[in-house]
Amino acid sequence: MEARSIFPALDRQIYGKPLIYFDNAATAQRPQAVLDLQQRLCVEACGNIHRAIHRLSAEATDAYEAGREAVRRFINAPARENVVFTSGTTASINLVATCFCERFLGAGDRILVSEAEHHSNLVPWQLACGRQGASLEVLPVDEAGELSVEELDRRLAAAEGRIKLVAVTHISNVLGIVNPVRELVAVAHRYGVPVLVDGAQGIIHETVDVQALDCDFYAFSGHKVYAPTGIGVLYGKTRWLDEMPPFMGGGEMIDTVSFEKTTYAPLPLKYEAGTQNFVAAACFAPALETARALMDDPVLQENLLAMRDFLLAELGRIEGMRIYGCPRDPQRKIPLISFTVAGAFPADLAQILDKMGIAVRSGHVCAEPLLRRFGQTSVVRASLAPYNTLAECESFVAALRRAVNMLR
Amino acid sequence: MKTIQEIQADIVEEFSVFSDWMDKYEYLIELGKGMPLIDEKDKTEANLIRGCQSRVWLSCRAEDGRLHFAADSDAIITKGIISLLLKVYDGQTPADILAADEAFIGEIGLKENLSPTRANGLVSMIAAIKAYAAAFQAGTEEKPRDLEADVVAALRMVYDPEIPVNVYDMGLIYDIQADADGQVFIRMTLTAPNCPIADDVVAQVREAVSDVPGVKDVQVELVFEPEWTTDRMSEEAKLELGML
Ligand SMILES: Cc1ncc(COP(=O)(O)O)c(C=O)c1O
Repeated sequence: MEARSIFPALDRQIYGKPLIYFDNAATAQRPQAVLDLQQRLCVEACGNIHRAIHRLSAEATDAYEAGREAVRRFINAPARENVVFTSGTTASINLVATCFCERFLGAGDRILVSEAEHHSNLVPWQLACGRQGASLEVLPVDEAGELSVEELDRRLAAAEGRIKLVAVTHISNVLGIVNPVRELVAVAHRYGVPVLVDGAQGIIHETVDVQALDCDFYAFSGHKVYAPTGIGVLYGKTRWLDEMPPFMGGGEMIDTVSFEKTTYAPLPLKYEAGTQNFVAAACFAPALETARALMDDPVLQENLLAMRDFLLAELGRIEGMRIYGCPRDPQRKIPLISFTVAGAFPADLAQILDKMGIAVRSGHVCAEPLLRRFGQTSVVRASLAPYNTLAECESFVAALRRAVNMLR
Repeated sequence: MKTIQEIQADIVEEFSVFSDWMDKYEYLIELGKGMPLIDEKDKTEANLIRGCQSRVWLSCRAEDGRLHFAADSDAIITKGIISLLLKVYDGQTPADILAADEAFIGEIGLKENLSPTRANGLVSMIAAIKAYAAAFQAGTEEKPRDLEADVVAALRMVYDPEIPVNVYDMGLIYDIQADADGQVFIRMTLTAPNCPIADDVVAQVREAVSDVPGVKDVQVELVFEPEWTTDRMSEEAKLELGML
């Protein structure tokens, strides 16, 4: 399939040069089908979901629930009740950190996170530990950026039941390495410990089957899978979603309300307090359809791998280049490359590249502890999508060389 | 020395020769590379301005009513822009710094770098420069405060012959007023009314204060209301008298 033509943003010119968008790990561009549905719902079906009998509300509700069904199918969740809409990955993780920890985390207990976590899968746990008098334990990455399943096993054994949950990223937004989540989950379950997987990056690069992974929670954002911002998903196993207390109160999350006692709505509405971002949720349907089509297209997938290999090889030729996240099995690396170049500060590189029409990310990329592990405060990150091309990669490498020469 | 406006005009003129952004950035990078670094010892946590993209250090020193700045950044383009800002502000008076703006950065086409969302520390750095200027200006306007400090220093040299602690730290001084003309008024007490050497101590205070440079006239009022108690003594005084 022709990927570029369905993403109108890619036609943009930046400072008179064609846009090369290499910041897909932050936010992906949106296909025309998503833009169309967004527009159509705003015009034709702008009514509050789940609340009224009139036609607009009914259509909006149908679109919202169609979005949920699309998500359910995309991640192979067993049922609608396992798919909770949130405002994004961060909100999903905060929901679990608040509700799970309130119920299951006590003084002296621990939450285990990996060293490679985005701040969104770290700070909510710190906050929860603070509230409950618990502490955080960190599973380190090695020099290559990899996590060790054996080390997790050792930690769980040593903790003697005090680790109550493991929170780990499917793919780090810095290292671009697909973590062995299925194995990590299996080990944790041997100790009866549930696992939350941060799927912000995993959802778009891997085919996610939450039942096969057997994780207890899986969190991701719409805006990284071609849907709008302000919408995200928390997949949870029924057992946990049932046992955890509600997150926020109000709106559709109730069954009956009286001043003495309120009972809660059945899943998933129990966790969906207040009017939801139903237009964005509905857009999951066309967004995930696009994602599926792009992932299933062998030519595009081959191209992604070719771009990855090209960039790794060409960047490696630049003097002073250091790439973060080089797994022993190179196939575990997604086309997301974070790097530094000796003598050229990341923000300077990004600023010069921007002037050449190239969008990359620079800075601490929301993973300060991980960067510190590698002795950095800041990196440049290029992250690719199926609509990028090898020609763009060539332009990027040439532009980067030029920027490095200017700075050194 | 040139005014802020003149220096800004010079910079705008300098940049007008660059037709494309590339030349402009190369020039900025050169500026950044050439800029004298801040003293390593001044790269302290207190002088650090943290941005998401880069860090900036700024230190400030006052000399003869003018402010001198040194700064650094780990990002070289940011550093280049810093060097432009320092060219403008270094050696200027606090009043001129406070009155100036940074519109020239927009005129030379680098406005985006000063956007608050850039997170490169520049906006915070400009705020810090202005804060130094404001603080310094406030300090100079309250010049009589310095006179007061000198008066306090003089009072610390005066002792009640019975007590090994000076009158100030004993808490015997209730009020000091020093105005810009060098008129000083002091209200004080003694540890006990009917103190036989009362006149002596008051005379010593008057003498010590009138010796302070800038003081033209001293009035001392002796009061016994409110009554002096040991609560008025400084910690050091209590320590000295073995009361702690
Ligand atoms: C691994 C990872 N986790 C969490 C997040 C947070 O996602 P959001 O900002 O959409 O909540 C991101 C996105 O930057 C991410 O890459």
